[in-house]
Amino acid sequence: MSSAVAGWEQFSKKKAATWLAGIAVVLGLIATLGSTGIVFALLLALMLTGMPISIALGLTVLTFLFFFSEVPTEAVAMKLFTGIEKFEIMAIPFFILAGNFLTHGGVAKRMIKFATSMVGHWHGGLALAGVMACALFAAVSGSSPATVVAIGSVMLPAMVRAGFPKRFGAGVITTSGSLGILIPPSIPMVIYCVATNSSVGAMFMGGVIPGLMLATLLGLVSWWKAKKANYPRMQKATWGERFKAFRESIWGLLLIVIVLGGIYSGLFTPTEAAAMSAVYAFIIAVFVYRDVPFKKIPKVLLDSASMSAMLLYIITNAVLFSFLMTHEQIPQLMADWILAHNLGVVSFLLVTNVLLLLAGNVMEPSSIILILAPILFPVAMQLGIDPIHFGVLITVNMEVGMCHPPVGLNLYVASGITKMGISELTVAVWPWLMAMLGFMLLVTYVPSISLWLPKALGY
Amino acid sequence: APAPIVIKFSHVVAQHTPKGQAADYFKKLAEERTKGRVKVEVYPNSQLYKDKEEMEALQLGAVQMLAPSLAKFAPLGVKEFEVFDLPFIFDNYQELHKVTQGPVGAKLLKKLEPKGILGLAYWDNGFKVMSANKPLKAVSDFRGQKMRIQSSKVLDSQMRAVGAMPQVLAFSEVYQALQTGVVNGTENPPSNLYTQKMHEVQKYVTLSDHGYLGYAVIVNKKFWQGLPADVRTILEGCMKDATKYANDIAKKDNEEALAAVKKSGRSQLISLTPQERAAWKKAMDKAHKDNMGRIGADIVKEVYAATGYNPS
Amino acid sequence: MMKYLDHLEEIIITFLIGAATAIIAVAVVHRYLSGLPIPGLQDWLLGINLSWAQELCIYMFVWMAKFGAAYGVRSGIHVGVDVLVTRLPDSWRKTTVIIAIMGGALFTGLIGTLGAKFVWENGLHYALLNKLGMDVTELFEGPITPDLEWPTWIVYSAVPLGSYLMCFRFLQVGWAFLHTGELPHHDHTHVDGIEEIPAMDSTQALEEYEVHKFNGKDGGAK
Ligand code: NA
Ligand code: NA
Repeated sequence: MSSAVAGWEQFSKKKAATWLAGIAVVLGLIATLGSTGIVFALLLALMLTGMPISIALGLTVLTFLFFFSEVPTEAVAMKLFTGIEKFEIMAIPFFILAGNFLTHGGVAKRMIKFATSMVGHWHGGLALAGVMACALFAAVSGSSPATVVAIGSVMLPAMVRAGFPKRFGAGVITTSGSLGILIPPSIPMVIYCVATNSSVGAMFMGGVIPGLMLATLLGLVSWWKAKKANYPRMQKATWGERFKAFRESIWGLLLIVIVLGGIYSGLFTPTEAAAMSAVYAFIIAVFVYRDVPFKKIPKVLLDSASMSAMLLYIITNAVLFSFLMTHEQIPQLMADWILAHNLGVVSFLLVTNVLLLLAGNVMEPSSIILILAPILFPVAMQLGIDPIHFGVLITVNMEVGMCHPPVGLNLYVASGITKMGISELTVAVWPWLMAMLGFMLLVTYVPSISLWLPKALGY
Repeated sequence: APAPIVIKFSHVVAQHTPKGQAADYFKKLAEERTKGRVKVEVYPNSQLYKDKEEMEALQLGAVQMLAPSLAKFAPLGVKEFEVFDLPFIFDNYQELHKVTQGPVGAKLLKKLEPKGILGLAYWDNGFKVMSANKPLKAVSDFRGQKMRIQSSKVLDSQMRAVGAMPQVLAFSEVYQALQTGVVNGTENPPSNLYTQKMHEVQKYVTLSDHGYLGYAVIVNKKFWQGLPADVRTILEGCMKDATKYANDIAKKDNEEALAAVKKSGRSQLISLTPQERAAWKKAMDKAHKDNMGRIGADIVKEVYAATGYNPS
Repeated sequence: MMKYLDHLEEIIITFLIGAATAIIAVAVVHRYLSGLPIPGLQDWLLGINLSWAQELCIYMFVWMAKFGAAYGVRSGIHVGVDVLVTRLPDSWRKTTVIIAIMGGALFTGLIGTLGAKFVWENGLHYALLNKLGMDVTELFEGPITPDLEWPTWIVYSAVPLGSYLMCFRFLQVGWAFLHTGELPHHDHTHVDGIEEIPAMDSTQALEEYEVHKFNGKDGGAK
């Protein structure tokens, strides 16, 4: 539910009363904006009680549908099942399980030693290793939260152990994990292509350069922050030490080869790769390094299941909330407004970004793309915007949305791994999030970043 | 004026597809001809309900009209609809329409009524082509090939009948799976092949027309029977015209898609000789035999009688 | 009694995640081997039909999610927005926490009931009356799942069962909070997988790093 965050003052009764009254006034004002306003006022009010975000989302939907619509409420119960009835979503539990076996099994420790031996002597060296690992992993996974889990559950404990503040590590991994949907493969990109009849191959290629650029940018932010705060740097390792660390971590590094190699050689799909890496991690932890004794296996499974369940529960309720949004035609209303104002390219793109950012506050990416892309796409085409460029900017926008509350899956995942509160985590990701916003503007107004590679490859 | 009667029409494909266009066309006709007494709200792209939810949503009355693919009726408990999945059961549109626009089609739709559903019409998507990264001409070419199918027992046995290994994949994973070789091939009507960009990752497309993909437009029975009689009559007329429109653009769309695939140069189109096609038909007849009991011999025989199916 | 329920809950979700992973791994290996032109083996493998594996995995994970969410209430893993509630005066905080817990109980209780109603109308009612040999002409026989062909009311019953269990867990947590003032929560200063290492500042970390560098107590395979 909630926990005290160190350093936050407790209000006196008088001050608390003033705050509560202020909040009540603001929420009341929001509620006067019509049905949309009521939805958001209710959601905010429920969330401020500190109840689980999943419950606040679900309760808002249920209350609204019950009092303001004729939707049979059994449909809500059905959605709670079907909302996660998708094989791609199953990659999340698989990667969590793999991550837990790697962390408990000593694989993580050895991999971190290797990473540290290579770049640990730079400012924020481990963080840079984390960004690199996320970018590598993004090349095998189509989902951002899965990337956060897979890398975060290994990197974060290492960073804390090496003396970095938890906030710093959480900020790096939460934002770098979003590379998962920008560097191909990418599930949201496929959805965009289907919704707008664009080329998936071209779209994937379009994501490569922006993905590498964003990885570099996030690395730079980490380096700059680490330098400014003078976070610990390791002594430079010799090549002999590096080789030894490499040899000891070979089983962990092989996992990247297996996942990458398995996907690109056609052995399995990205979701299946997640399952295979869980099995692989299990074998390494239990039989090769033998750091996980047999009697500890159920505990690792239970912890993984519990974390997965928390995430899947939020996803189901986020899907439910998207359903409410669609049902109230809120995205369409916003899009109609754009269409009615006859905007030029520059302002159209700006408004598109704002609209997507707003939607990213409360909905998960697949729903946003499915609903908004078909509405915005024809306008973009009329204005002569390239479909691939438009798709990349939507994807970058979705990345930003995944890193901030109230609905930001990366944030929830990172919170699960770090056991940090959402508010604290929101503060933690702030510097990287600002950089991502800047990057988003760059991608929006410099189409060649997205288009150079697909054009060079003849798409 | 009293508030209009609202029909929520939900479907799972994009607006620009033949089904999407036909749904919009029905909306236009219905609103014009009832002079605004009926308002049709079309929700494309699974916006409100997804593939797996829409049937239950219709039964609950959360939406009033759907156009699901015929394969969706077997899980509903009306396995007779699997007859449409049987390979080579229709040789051309003429044979197909003898069924979908004749008494057998009507009889099948009747079977939905105990589920609280009324079937109004069949809308075509089209005949399927077989794509792969090797040329599929002889039946033996299928051996050991991993072929992506829509979840269906009949399609599963169709692929096994020619020695291939059927594989059900999540839709969003199909493109990459074809690209990397997790699966070697798949089957689709040309328009789906093209809009889902699968020709980019398949080297060969065999114009086999071996199977059919179609939809049924269905409504919530209670809702439909509760409509004022005159409104219902008008809507039935609109549906008739929308059906013709749907079938015409589906056919045209498939032809254009094939031309576009050919023009893209990314996959090579293969035609079958009559002998090769007959060999496929003969081999895939096993899927008929294996599923006869499931689907119901009566209904299969009735379709055979209408189309003159003969595998040998 | 309560201990058995706790154990059952844990066993169910532990089993589901483990078994689902194993099933997918077997299906992948099977598909790979089936594509190899090995005489005899290929025919044998092509004869084995594992096309239900993905569907079963999805259902196992959905069940795991529903029961795991209930376990999560007990273990305090569900995340919330704590920015306001942590700053409130103690007695006010208590009231807010109770409101939040009651919200959880309300939502899960409602969803449990709606889910039960859905499952009932989606085939349970028919199945029950049919089993008892009663008149079912007015009812629908529920749908079945596409691959496994199981009645969907059985797989959907994860929603009412999981939600009611979750509702019970919220009430349990609320009761304990009223009596002890304690809430279950993960230790927020603790990171998974490194529990054996005491907290230290960066200087200590560096020192420890120097001492153990590449030949320390946890270097090399054991
Ligand atoms: Na990716
Ligand atoms: Na967000």
